[in-house]
Amino acid sequence: MAKTLNNLKLKSRQSIIGWAFVIPAALLIFIFYFYPIGRALFLSFQTGIGANMQFAGLANYRRLLSDNLFKTSLTNVLTFLALQVPIMLTLALALAYLLNDKTLKFRGFFRTALFLPCATSLVSYSLIFRSMFALDGFVNALLTNLNLITSPINWLANPWTAKLVIVLALTWRWTGYNMIFYLAALQNIDASIFEAAVIDGAGAAARFFRIVVPMLRPIILLTAIVSTNGTLQLFDETFNITNGGPANATISISQYIYRLSFQYSPRFSYAAAISFVVFILVAFLAMIQMRVGDQR
Amino acid sequence: MRRSQVKVLLCVLMLSLLTSSAAFANQTVTVWAWDPAFNLYAMEEAAKIYAEINPDVTINIVETPWDDIQTRLTTAVMAGQTGTLPDIMLIQDNALMKNVIDFPHVFADLTDSGIDFSQFADFKVSLTSVDGRNYAVPFDNGAAINALRVDVLHEAGYELEDFKDITWSEYIEMGKDILAKTGKPLHSIVAESPDLIMAGLQSAGTWMFDENGDVFIANNDVLKEVIEVYVELVNTGIMVQVNDWEQYITSFNRGTVAGTINGCWIIGSIVLPEEQKGLWGVTNMPRLERSPNATNYSSQGGSSWTVRADSPNKDAAIDFLAHTFAGSVELYETILPSSGALATYLPAGDSAAYSIPHEFFGGQAIYAEITDYASRVPQVKYGVYNYEARDAIGVAIAQVLAGRDIDSALMEAEETVRFLMEF
Amino acid sequence: MTKSKIANVLKYVFLFVAAMISIFPLVWMFISATNTSGDVLGGRLLPGTNLLVNFRALTARADIGQALWNSLRNALVATVASLVVCSIAGYGFEVYHDRGKDFLMRVLLLSMMIPFAAIMIPLFMMVGQLNLLSTTTAFVLPTVSTAFLIFLFRQSARYFPRDIIESSRLDGLSELGIFLRMYIPVMRSTYATAGIITFMAAWNNYLWPLIIMQSEESRTMPLLLSNLVAGYVTDYGLLMLAISISVLPTIVIFLLLQRSFAEGIVLSVK
Repeated sequence: MAKTLNNLKLKSRQSIIGWAFVIPAALLIFIFYFYPIGRALFLSFQTGIGANMQFAGLANYRRLLSDNLFKTSLTNVLTFLALQVPIMLTLALALAYLLNDKTLKFRGFFRTALFLPCATSLVSYSLIFRSMFALDGFVNALLTNLNLITSPINWLANPWTAKLVIVLALTWRWTGYNMIFYLAALQNIDASIFEAAVIDGAGAAARFFRIVVPMLRPIILLTAIVSTNGTLQLFDETFNITNGGPANATISISQYIYRLSFQYSPRFSYAAAISFVVFILVAFLAMIQMRVGDQR
Repeated sequence: MRRSQVKVLLCVLMLSLLTSSAAFANQTVTVWAWDPAFNLYAMEEAAKIYAEINPDVTINIVETPWDDIQTRLTTAVMAGQTGTLPDIMLIQDNALMKNVIDFPHVFADLTDSGIDFSQFADFKVSLTSVDGRNYAVPFDNGAAINALRVDVLHEAGYELEDFKDITWSEYIEMGKDILAKTGKPLHSIVAESPDLIMAGLQSAGTWMFDENGDVFIANNDVLKEVIEVYVELVNTGIMVQVNDWEQYITSFNRGTVAGTINGCWIIGSIVLPEEQKGLWGVTNMPRLERSPNATNYSSQGGSSWTVRADSPNKDAAIDFLAHTFAGSVELYETILPSSGALATYLPAGDSAAYSIPHEFFGGQAIYAEITDYASRVPQVKYGVYNYEARDAIGVAIAQVLAGRDIDSALMEAEETVRFLMEF
Repeated sequence: MTKSKIANVLKYVFLFVAAMISIFPLVWMFISATNTSGDVLGGRLLPGTNLLVNFRALTARADIGQALWNSLRNALVATVASLVVCSIAGYGFEVYHDRGKDFLMRVLLLSMMIPFAAIMIPLFMMVGQLNLLSTTTAFVLPTVSTAFLIFLFRQSARYFPRDIIESSRLDGLSELGIFLRMYIPVMRSTYATAGIITFMAAWNNYLWPLIIMQSEESRTMPLLLSNLVAGYVTDYGLLMLAISISVLPTIVIFLLLQRSFAEGIVLSVK
């Protein structure tokens, strides 16, 4: 009896300490994210510019239903999401698995080289991507020499090939970034588990799917949520490589928001409404991912 | 570094002129502009000139790119903190009307400030005024030029003169011949960039909005003709499309095309390759045929100086501009040779500096030539929704080149712009 | 035997090709820093002799030392502050998890799903009212606590063996002591990862410093870079040198911290 009471006291003491650990961070997020988000939400129910704001109810949200550019940009980012995130995360996992092998030569070099794309400046890499995929660029020359195509492809002028270029660019830039999360997590997995599997006679593929993937689930969940969020808020690549073209085939939601806020006659309240639709969408996807992946 | 030099100079002058009485005691006028070879340089020279007139005022020049000026301006106005903005801002002409109308009371009305706006090129004054009130001191000249490689023309048996005062069909006719004989297209363009379309519209005194500010895209015959010309230029191979600005510059710097059509500021990029010295010439751009008011003159790009209305240094800022950009021929004479910054201040055009021959262009007196073009550019109003319309036209071009008919593409563009205007 | 040998060769070929594709733009950028503007645009792949000219032009054009120092100071302060605040929170969310904390974590996660453009005006107003414009504090405040980093530490804390916590408690270590003396050393690779990505994000941050860094003395590297492409004529040799300089710190930080991936950590779970 006394022991359980003691235990209970200990538990609640620990819980309080736990709260003390999390509250400073939570407070900062409430001040610097949720308070401004609240302001933005309030703004999304208004119309007007600057000091001339009027309450407009759901008008901004109703407007979304007939906004073709919004629909196009939403479809674009969902296409990028469906194509790119699975490819990138699988590739990142495979690379992390290969690089976690202690007998691998040049590990440091491979690890550094694969990470570097996300550190490379956007200016130089978009310059390179645009010139590589030019009509007389490197990619067409390569494919022609390999006899894979007979006439050069105008990559950035065709809606689907332009989308493909964006997917390639995203994969190029972010695979190594995701890989280092997996690598860090693999470091935390006890090496003896792998050794036991080797003695067990499990092949490389079996070890990968039966041990690595389940063990990495918490981090896979993290990268899935972050990549989903990143893709839905995509801006850099489409802004710098295709500028949303051809004919809006690659325009992203964030780019549309940017135009509405800073290039066009400013429509912050409408931009805020779009932000909230994205927010709800990402939150919904994240919720599903948490359901599937966040089990202890 | 540059700024501190100006400051030091001003301090020295201040000390030496301590006794002189000035209207604005110890004020600092802050300026945002973005091009060190061009408008920033001009601003520094202006500061030097003004230091002799009014040494009590310090001009503090802060390099800020145009896109960043727009972002900061919008943020400051939306946050109700216009005090964070500088006293003088350089604003792109195509965004000026939008900012003046959307953000009333931010920009000072300069109409009755004593600045004589009749001394500037008409088209520029038209771009910088709203409802008959002037909101900016016009600065650089974006008069459209057709710059051509005279050696390539000679190779095909043509002269620069053959391209003066011509129509687009004459241009295309000669372009086909030159392409066949030399293998060189006449010019290049960034794919989906509507710049050439815009230049074509203004050359006929038309825009994507009518006098009342309503969208004028779907039934705009001038626009339709410009797009037809554009499509033919692409289809005949006379104009090559490239993916970005860098490839555009490279195409004439490397001589893969025989020329370019753009605002006259493009000269700064044309003169880069030393080996092409003396090979270039400048003439006016081709004109439309079906459009009634068609001319061979247009404008592309350009910017102007605005003053913040609620600034405590407003009067000093206006006085500074009045004595320099709107009153000093000396300033324009100083900045022209090293920066090629062509003025829209007409008295400067009579200056001897403007008629000196330019070696890169085979000794042609291009500055006098371009100043003449500028005086003939038709007036238009870019309007509040200019960027919205530009983007919609860019999409329409891509659709038309992919096979869509012009009418339905323009119909969709008009609907897009209308939708963006309705709030 | 031969089959696994072939697989081994294929593995190296695959990694080698992937590594080459990954570093090509970076290598090209460094090479371009030694070339003239025209050669950069012409796609020249060989080093040139223009490095000194580009360097002189760059230093005459902009105060790159000041911008580097501003970026470095902002990014280091932001990184250290973030690691402290977020790692302890992530640890707290996992080790002391209960329904309330799980729920709060999910709420916090929502904060990363709003585009920055939507909240930057209220944030700008807050910073302006606090008179913090053009300060490192203003730069750091909104980025100290991020749901992403908290979540990363929470997920990583799952790999931290509970036995260590229990035995440390029996040894009389306080709860904070367990975090400081046990968790941090064991989670070195996670800290390294978090440090790299936080530093990189702070270093490359553009929109936020753009609106708050009003004085020229407070300009950061990304703002300086945007100055270099704003004119009618861009010098690409100079530009490539400037961006080469701007990515070096991130690479150095990565090279310093990446050793923690190599060493591997043997946990004494007994």
